[in-house]
Amino acid sequence: MIAAMLRETMPDATVKVVDMTGTMDHLEVFVTTKAFAGVSLLDRHRMVERALAPARADGRIHALQIRTATPEDTHG
Amino acid sequence: MADLHEEIQREIAANPILVYGKGTKDAPRCGFTLETIQFFNTFGYPFEVIDVLENMPKRQALSEITDWQTLPKVFIGGQFMGDTDILGPMADSGELRTLLEKTFADSGVTPTIQLR
Repeated sequence: MIAAMLRETMPDATVKVVDMTGTMDHLEVFVTTKAFAGVSLLDRHRMVERALAPARADGRIHALQIRTATPEDTHG
Repeated sequence: MADLHEEIQREIAANPILVYGKGTKDAPRCGFTLETIQFFNTFGYPFEVIDVLENMPKRQALSEITDWQTLPKVFIGGQFMGDTDILGPMADSGELRTLLEKTFADSGVTPTIQLR
C-alpha cells in the first residue's frame, strides 16, 4: 500500500516499511529514489508526506518516521 | 486567520528555539513531542514548547505557513526546521550545533550542558 502510493509520484522508488509497534499504523519508511537528488531533507519529507496524505487522512497511518536516500547515496 | 498568523510570527520571533507540539514540556501528550523535548534537552539551550493539540485553527495556520502537516514543528532562529527526522541527521553532522551557536551568539546565552 505504502510503496504503491509513493510510486505514483516517484515511479523508481524503492521502499522499505518497518512496523514499529506491531499495529501497522506506526511506521518507519525508508524511501530511495532519484527524485530526491538535489532536494533538501525538508522537501524530501514534504514529498513523502504528500504522497501518503490519503493514508494519513483516513488513519491508516498514525505515526510515520521517514528516512530518505537517492540511489547514489545507498551505493556509497 | 490573519490574527493567528501574526500570533505565530510573534512567537517564532520571541523564541530562538520553538517547538509547536502536543502537550507541554512537563506533560507531553505525544511520543514525537516527548522525543523532541528530550532531543533539545541534550543541547542545553533554552527552548519553548507551545501546546497546540486542541487548537485546530492554529494547527491549520501553522500547516499553511510551513507546508508541513504534522506536529511537532520546530523553528530555530525564526526558520522552520521540520522535526527530529530532519534535526537528527543535522545533529549527527554537527550542522545543528553550528546553527544553534550562531542563533544564540548575539543573545549571550550559552548552553548549560554539553552532552554531544
